[in-house]
Amino acid sequence: MRKIFRKNIPRTAVAVILCGICSVAVINSQPSAEKSPANAHSKDDAKPMPVYGHWKNFTTKDGLPSDHAYCVRIDGNRVLVGTHEGLSVYEDGKWKTYTTKDGLAHNGVVSIDVSELTGDVWIGTFGGLNRWSAGKFETFTQLNSGLPNDLVYCVICDGKDVWAATAGGAGHYDTYTKAWEIFTEKNAPMHEPWTYGVSAGDGKIFIAAWGGGVIEYTTKTKKFKDYTDPDGEMEIDLLPDDGIVHDITTATSYADGILWVSTYFGMSRYDGSHWKGYFDHDSGLASNFINFIRAKGPVVFICSDKGLSSTDGKSWVTYKKNDNNNDGMAIIKNFGRNDDNTINKTTKEIPLSPSIAHNFIIGVDADKDVLWVATEKGVSRGELMK
Amino acid sequence: MKTSGILSVLLFFSVLGLIVYFPGRKWARVHVNSKTAVGDHPLNCLSCHLYTQKSGFISKLVNRKYMSPFNMAVSKEGDRLYVVAQEDNALLVVDPEKKKVLKKIIVGNLPHSVILSNDGQRAYVSNEWSDDVSVIDLSTSKVVDTLKTGNGPAGLSLSADNKSLYVVNSYSSNISVLDLNTGEERKRFDTGNNPTGTQLSPDGKTLYVTSRRALIAPYGETLKSEITVLDENSQKITGRRNIESAYMMENIAFTPTGDLAIVTMIRPKNLVPSIQVELGWMMTYGIVVIEQKENGRVIQLLLDEPNAYYSDPFDIVITPDGKKAFVSHSGVNTISVVNIDSVRSLIDKSSPELLNSYSDNLGISSRYVIKRIKTGANPKGLALSSDGKLLYVAEQLEDRIAVINTKSLETVSTIDLGGPNKITVARQGRRLFNNSGHTFQNQFDCYTCHPDMHEDGLVYNMASTDMGRNLTNTQSLRDIGDTPPYKWNGKNQTVYKQDGMRFSTVLTRTEQFNYKDLDAITAYIITGIPYPPNLQYNPNGELTESQLRGKAIFDRTMDNLGNDIPENNRCITCHPPPYYTNLKMAYVKTLASSDDSMLFDTPHLNNIYASPPYLHDGRAATLEEIWTKYGKEDKHGRVNDMTKNQLNDLIDYLKSLRAPAYEHNVSKKFHAKNQSN
Repeated sequence: MRKIFRKNIPRTAVAVILCGICSVAVINSQPSAEKSPANAHSKDDAKPMPVYGHWKNFTTKDGLPSDHAYCVRIDGNRVLVGTHEGLSVYEDGKWKTYTTKDGLAHNGVVSIDVSELTGDVWIGTFGGLNRWSAGKFETFTQLNSGLPNDLVYCVICDGKDVWAATAGGAGHYDTYTKAWEIFTEKNAPMHEPWTYGVSAGDGKIFIAAWGGGVIEYTTKTKKFKDYTDPDGEMEIDLLPDDGIVHDITTATSYADGILWVSTYFGMSRYDGSHWKGYFDHDSGLASNFINFIRAKGPVVFICSDKGLSSTDGKSWVTYKKNDNNNDGMAIIKNFGRNDDNTINKTTKEIPLSPSIAHNFIIGVDADKDVLWVATEKGVSRGELMK
Repeated sequence: MKTSGILSVLLFFSVLGLIVYFPGRKWARVHVNSKTAVGDHPLNCLSCHLYTQKSGFISKLVNRKYMSPFNMAVSKEGDRLYVVAQEDNALLVVDPEKKKVLKKIIVGNLPHSVILSNDGQRAYVSNEWSDDVSVIDLSTSKVVDTLKTGNGPAGLSLSADNKSLYVVNSYSSNISVLDLNTGEERKRFDTGNNPTGTQLSPDGKTLYVTSRRALIAPYGETLKSEITVLDENSQKITGRRNIESAYMMENIAFTPTGDLAIVTMIRPKNLVPSIQVELGWMMTYGIVVIEQKENGRVIQLLLDEPNAYYSDPFDIVITPDGKKAFVSHSGVNTISVVNIDSVRSLIDKSSPELLNSYSDNLGISSRYVIKRIKTGANPKGLALSSDGKLLYVAEQLEDRIAVINTKSLETVSTIDLGGPNKITVARQGRRLFNNSGHTFQNQFDCYTCHPDMHEDGLVYNMASTDMGRNLTNTQSLRDIGDTPPYKWNGKNQTVYKQDGMRFSTVLTRTEQFNYKDLDAITAYIITGIPYPPNLQYNPNGELTESQLRGKAIFDRTMDNLGNDIPENNRCITCHPPPYYTNLKMAYVKTLASSDDSMLFDTPHLNNIYASPPYLHDGRAATLEEIWTKYGKEDKHGRVNDMTKNQLNDLIDYLKSLRAPAYEHNVSKKFHAKNQSN
């Protein structure tokens, strides 16, 4: 199922050498002693990077059905959280949980999106897809509908269309005609049917296809284009910025004309002409192992196994929890340019007490002054620091 | 000599007559018996050779084109009545005072509803078989625009500011929001199953949509039908209220103060054996009263009486003073007059337990039904004059509008819409089809379980002779004349037999139709029930790529592994065009433990997308489930070698199948290919 890593010792050796050279160039950032940074930005940034603090964490003790939170979506005055034990809704300071007894296809809720057009909530679960409309659940499964597979890793709404990334391909559902289309390796440039993520923007759909990079689908022309790692290397990114960093992609997110792509081996940014790769060793990224990303305007939030990072491509803010207590820090890294055009790297750390609930992050959503994070050990809510 | 000559001639002709008569009559008896599948039908050549002709000269000679008024709107001044003439594809402009049709405006196919703009300048007509709305300038009586909608536009409502038109799409089960400035569809919301009625609350804040078919659910579960609530301000669905044990919620009306919304409904008892008919209660009819306040109650009240049912409630209107509601009962040619204050009083004084019991209380109607007014055949849409003094009733199968004085509650006049004077045999059959007079205590008519001459989406417990369950998924009657035998067990070889003695014994529990009526209802069923066009999945006969791939699977003779598929396990073998049935009995391993041992009649597949649930007992909620859940042994076609993509393609193709009239070319090609092979 998964692409087998190719063993190419000579190429790998070259890659390791190149990697070492790069690493040397990146070292030397110094921690800052400043206690209260208003925001993080490089000299040439127009907008500062937002920093979130005043974290509040929610667990089963607060009413969540499970601490294993897979996804989070802000929907006006309420927040929808997908957990291992059902869908939980935070509204007016209280949590209310919905499970299979209420009509949920499966209690493992891994993706949520809200249709701007209708207000309907679409829910991807480990056992099918739900539409939750005015309190009523409608279930789509691979047995009763054209849904490609019941493992729905990601669902998004794009106008009247709903897209689902599943273990059996990407599914497109037209809510007007109620017709399904399936995209797999049979009819799209995919390596295999397994898809992990999907996002939409500017008339295009971006599918994160396992082992197949990113599949771009233009809705008007119904044409595909695929973006794969040009160097084909499975263990390292052999040639920097030559394209997507790895073919095993986990999520895509599109905003402000920028496509962000996450993998378990780093992250990529595509502006329509050029690719840029980001790794934990050459950026503020908390880890190369990225579960999910969500772009909001110029900023992308990155959910990794070692904390939550955010960036606009230049400045970075990473949130980490301490291993031994509930506190943590926001680590701010700026990559600005000095007057002589050399790169000026600065690092600051802001103590957070408490910090985010856990460093294994799977879901995130931001809206105005609030950031919600789904972690392995609960859900966290942060407020924008002025 | 002369006398003997005459006698000889007479004798010759007498002998000849006898020689011809006895064998001839015997032959005729055999012929009629074979054509009717019964042994007692009169030897009347006209029964088959005249009245059941679907096309050609004879058909044109004996049949007529009627108007069939369906819904109406009245101008604010009360000087014009706008009548949807469904069969004539027209909006009639009527002067109610002079009782004269002034103009006929041709609109789209099978118009359903009409609504007038607040300024009275425009009329909007939904065309159920064109998937659009005709916009009519009433000053010129011309169609000035045609707006695209979803599939099967029916009920209409205007937003409070008259800038948006809400169109209920009855076939695609959603509601379109049309921007009247641009003519574009802005949004489309899913509703309950097969919605038709819609009404904006008097404060202009809330739009209700009623649905006819129940939500698909396994047999044995309580029936639920949805009323969908849309918030005008946010343009979002804010409520989906399940109305339990009820369906066919055709229309809705608000009291002028907005404290109550009242919906027409039927309460079917499809879970009890149909033998229940002779005990009453097979179907009950009434209204759903929805209080419009926070935590408002939902109460079901029957309009029936002990031993007398008022079948097929269709429309409801409420007088401007909020005192009376009028409900048309299409199956018994009656208008019920409901005293709304009495309803309020009953609700206020009743405990929750009592309120719950009213939904099954046949006697309770005496507390609020104050009059029954008889009408012509098949009353459908109702409209009140703006002062509330006159009630107009569209008598669909009378081609007439009845005018009722809402104070005296008497019919004061009728308006003839100019349809044919002659009632043809098929038209008489349609009247019978829609009339409950032939069922014990008027409990139901053919239309009740076959609304729009289709099917109601329910599974009934048709108890067999040994009282097994024999669950039966109601089948569509559209264009079934050429697809004998009938019933899932194929026991009835002809419509004559289907609607004859057995029908009265099992279902209506009264005297069987006399032969004249049997001829009439057979003529109607065979000649008069067309399919709607398949505008959603196959609007022009050009199949999509997916449908073409699905067709290849449908026609295939080899599976994905390269193995021959036995001929009797290929889709095309049992489901050849144009009806997509080979008219034979089949075994597809779907017999349930409660079924009598039997084969099943291979069903036709035209417009099959519109007939969920599927299989003889409705166990498959969707077409997919026929194979994903109930086709695991490859007895209903070879399917388990297929990928999900292929199954989706096959389903896409099945949904594209249209009326036989469209499929005859396909049929010719199919049979030519078979012959050449």
